[in-house]
Amino acid sequence: MVCADHGAYLLNLKFKEVAEDGEKLAHVLQYTYELYGYDMVLVFSDPYVEAQALGCPVELDPYPALIGSATVHSVDRTEEIIHAADILRSSIDVPIFVSIKGPFTLAAFLDGIEHYLKIVLKKETEASQLLQEALQYQLGYLERILSVGVNIMIGDPLASSSVISPAIFLKYAFTGLKTMVAKAKTSGAIVGVHICGDVGAISEYLDDLDADILSIEGINIRTETLKMGGVGTDTILNGDLKCMRSEVENAFKNEFIILSTACDVPPHTEPANIKAMLRFARECGREYGVQK
Amino acid sequence: MDEEKVSELVSSALNEKIEPVDILEKGLISGMQEVASLFARKEYYVPEVLLCSEAFYAGFDILKPLIGKSSRKPKARIVFGVVEGDIHDIGKNIVKVMMEAAGYEVVDLGRDVPVEDFIKAVDKERPDILALSSLMTTTMTLMADILKELEKRNLRRGLKVIVGGAPVNEEFAASIKADGYSPDGPSAVRLIEKLLSG
Repeated sequence: MVCADHGAYLLNLKFKEVAEDGEKLAHVLQYTYELYGYDMVLVFSDPYVEAQALGCPVELDPYPALIGSATVHSVDRTEEIIHAADILRSSIDVPIFVSIKGPFTLAAFLDGIEHYLKIVLKKETEASQLLQEALQYQLGYLERILSVGVNIMIGDPLASSSVISPAIFLKYAFTGLKTMVAKAKTSGAIVGVHICGDVGAISEYLDDLDADILSIEGINIRTETLKMGGVGTDTILNGDLKCMRSEVENAFKNEFIILSTACDVPPHTEPANIKAMLRFARECGREYGVQK
Repeated sequence: MDEEKVSELVSSALNEKIEPVDILEKGLISGMQEVASLFARKEYYVPEVLLCSEAFYAGFDILKPLIGKSSRKPKARIVFGVVEGDIHDIGKNIVKVMMEAAGYEVVDLGRDVPVEDFIKAVDKERPDILALSSLMTTTMTLMADILKELEKRNLRRGLKVIVGGAPVNEEFAASIKADGYSPDGPSAVRLIEKLLSG
């Protein structure tokens, strides 16, 4: 997934100015779309837009970092994200997806990740209450995004089995994700759910989210839902073309029909590496009978 | 996972005149080693390990001033930190507690640690192991800078350098000439034991 930080890097723009300005955000995302020619555009600046809007201090220079739990001072960039999505929807002829956080991850950001991960076991009522607050905010944000007629990619990295058990996933993350997917689908949007890291322990529940697309890392995960992913972020960064070709072929063999990197393309990735991945994707797509 | 209970049990054991080093090794460390096994078997996850770490340190903090330096010689000294620009330290903290439970002395430099601070710490502490953590692709490249600077200042010889963190892997570790990579706490401890056994 090519995101705003890569575009900002190529255009020699400070990430902070791109992340805070919807027009600049749209500009860098359009630039990378035209440079690489992929088949969908993800409007994503950083994972902390909603957390910052709800009062978390966030550093954006040189790159995004969440530096504390929620306080009273908020900076709301959500309108810039929606503005960027609206610009791109009018100017680009491929599906536009807006990235939005899953409620479990957002609740953890608001509370402080380490603290939240402890209270999910020790103070369940408090953890559930925070989760509900995060979900309510996200449902409102979702409605605003959907009003410009774009699609949705819900990212919930802390819901991964690299972090929490299947029991905690079911108790906290699953219902909120499913609720957001259902709401987005009522507008006719295509809805993806992205959970990076290990999802093996929760793979049996993923189809029940009812998403249209699952963006996941595990190449051997079997789902009924269309899968997206297949190429490691380390592969795209280090440019090992033999390894990349092999990963692309494996992705098609394992029914990852939407080829993508497993997570965001690192900002300093060489453009030639991304172009190679696209080239392999088109070649393998033809071989496996998958059209653009 | 109950830090109050652990504190009570440690205090109770001390009242029964059980040696502090025995309480530490047969109680707390033994418990933490079981936690590491449960984590490796995917029965415990990050929340469980965080609570267990909290409980471990609750007991450890009671015992530390009572354990003389001669009573318990650490197996080796490790300097550990998260590289500059990166403030994600949950993983580092989990790995650290497992290293301490395994008998290593850990000098924790914290997070967002500049290259120069790693170098100064290695020069001052003369550790057996330098452990570097990064959760971001934008900061992992600093690990290579640290290794180059160690070479330049003649601090690399005899020092084993291990790396970890979500974007890091074996290939990256090899490319920057680190001595090893580990994806989590239990494997970090195994890697250190392997590296130190020669």
